[in-house]
Amino acid sequence: MLASLQSRLYDLVRRDTFLPRFHFLAIGLLGIMLLLLPQLTGLVLVGLFTRIFVLAVFGMSYDLLRGYAGIINLGHALFFGGGTYIAGIVFANYGTSPTMLGLAVLGTTAYAMLAALLMGKIAFRRGNVVACAMITLALGEIVRQIAESWRAVTHGADGLTFPIPMMFRDRVALYYYALAFMVIMMLALRQFIMSPTGRVLLAIRENEQRAIFLGYNTASYKLVALQVAGVVCGWSGVMFALTSRFANTELLTVQQTLNALLVTIVGGTGTLYGAIVGTAFVQLAQHTLLGLRGVHLIFERWLLFFGAIYVFVVLFMPTGIVGLYQRLISHWLKPVKPR
Amino acid sequence: MVKPVLKLENLSSFIGAFHIVQGVSLDVFPGEAVVILGRNGAGKTTTLRTIMGLLRVAGGVIELAGETILGLPAHQVARRGVGYVPEDCIVFNFLTVKENLQIAMRKADKETYARQSYALDLFPDLKKAYSRYAATLSGGQRQMLAIARVLQNDNKIILIDEPSKGLAPIIVERVGEALITMKNSCTLILVEQNFPLACAVGDRYYILNGGRSVHSGHVTELANDVQLQNRFLSIGA
Repeated sequence: MLASLQSRLYDLVRRDTFLPRFHFLAIGLLGIMLLLLPQLTGLVLVGLFTRIFVLAVFGMSYDLLRGYAGIINLGHALFFGGGTYIAGIVFANYGTSPTMLGLAVLGTTAYAMLAALLMGKIAFRRGNVVACAMITLALGEIVRQIAESWRAVTHGADGLTFPIPMMFRDRVALYYYALAFMVIMMLALRQFIMSPTGRVLLAIRENEQRAIFLGYNTASYKLVALQVAGVVCGWSGVMFALTSRFANTELLTVQQTLNALLVTIVGGTGTLYGAIVGTAFVQLAQHTLLGLRGVHLIFERWLLFFGAIYVFVVLFMPTGIVGLYQRLISHWLKPVKPR
Repeated sequence: MVKPVLKLENLSSFIGAFHIVQGVSLDVFPGEAVVILGRNGAGKTTTLRTIMGLLRVAGGVIELAGETILGLPAHQVARRGVGYVPEDCIVFNFLTVKENLQIAMRKADKETYARQSYALDLFPDLKKAYSRYAATLSGGQRQMLAIARVLQNDNKIILIDEPSKGLAPIIVERVGEALITMKNSCTLILVEQNFPLACAVGDRYYILNGGRSVHSGHVTELANDVQLQNRFLSIGA
């Protein structure tokens, strides 16, 4: 009975034609909804979605490393926090003109490339995942310690508040800038993954030694991935500066990196879209749980629920939300052999 | 006098703290197919991995066409013209047969495409599965793909480690036929436990025992010398 129903469903919506159409329609609808959202809701949700767009880029940059190149970088926050700090320092000391924004972006790009180069040269020397994770963790902590001690510039843990350029002060305008930023970064990263360099990165993730036997200097390719991820992450840090108007050393901690790791786990690694889905899920769950604090005392301990959600996802959805969706689709729309 | 394509002299290498290769010497001349034989643990695979630059070398000489490649990282050894098909014949599952061949191309010139076409003629199964993902290939097809990937490049020598391992007899036969055809156009080192296959493909042999090369000669001599087979390979009567 179920098999015949599946068979009919498959006849109706053949996977090769139905899925692309369905995805196109779903993405189109989602796009229209996101474009109309500021007109339909209040500033709280607009602010929340702006944050989701910015943090999704942070998550995607992490996914490029973990999901595509197989690199565990526990110091990834140094790019994100670095971008926020550079933008904040430029705006606080040199003004908020568009030129200064350009300078902040250029400064972040140079900082991220240099930091990624140094990090990669040290971390990829041993060529093993654990050593790389430990070295990147240590480098991230060094940068955080420097920021902590350099109070004259960073204001340490107290934080640095700063003005932002006029064009980003309107929350709705900022929402659209953040949305455009996320879409552009997603397309750019997707293009990078589809490029020959991206294919080699996937080969390295699957079997690094095999890629070496084919003549690829895998350390160089991983370094390129780290630089691309570092620059994109730094830019997301600049965008975060525009949304928060505040930077402190919390942004450089390993916790910040773990947030990116968690959104890729929840959303699904090695998909790029997973980071967007994961960030949206985490931020919306956090927002909802925080909102429930007034309903019952137990929700004061919202972090417990949050932890439980993570455990549930890791145990029952090891490939994340996007992975689960892909599995369900391939299961339900597979052709059924006639009996 | 013809110079060897690959020359090993008293090669010695470690895996971690274990001294596995303790003195291997061999010469491979252009167009030859040399088989390395020996019991399990004799150091055959370790010798190939040492040539590829994957292990710590304690001493000795590795020369490729007269130039030393000792101490070079593995990717540079590969770029200098050493093709390696390891025993686990790993292919990239997320790529199709076509993409697996493309990613392994060192140059995208006419000659490489001609060699690729030759490799596909050698393994017609790959031609049929050209657009299929490597994850869907059988063990034999994966082995063929692994060999085709090195065959398409302009390698000075190809090292193949146990191509018959884990394959059904009929597939071993087909891989063997391909190797026999292949040896007319390239220089080969074959590590093989399957003695009939090694005899069918090889011109000369080296026997390793306890990490040292202890005997060498023409394969036909070994095929007729049951005493030698029994002494070093435990396959005689």
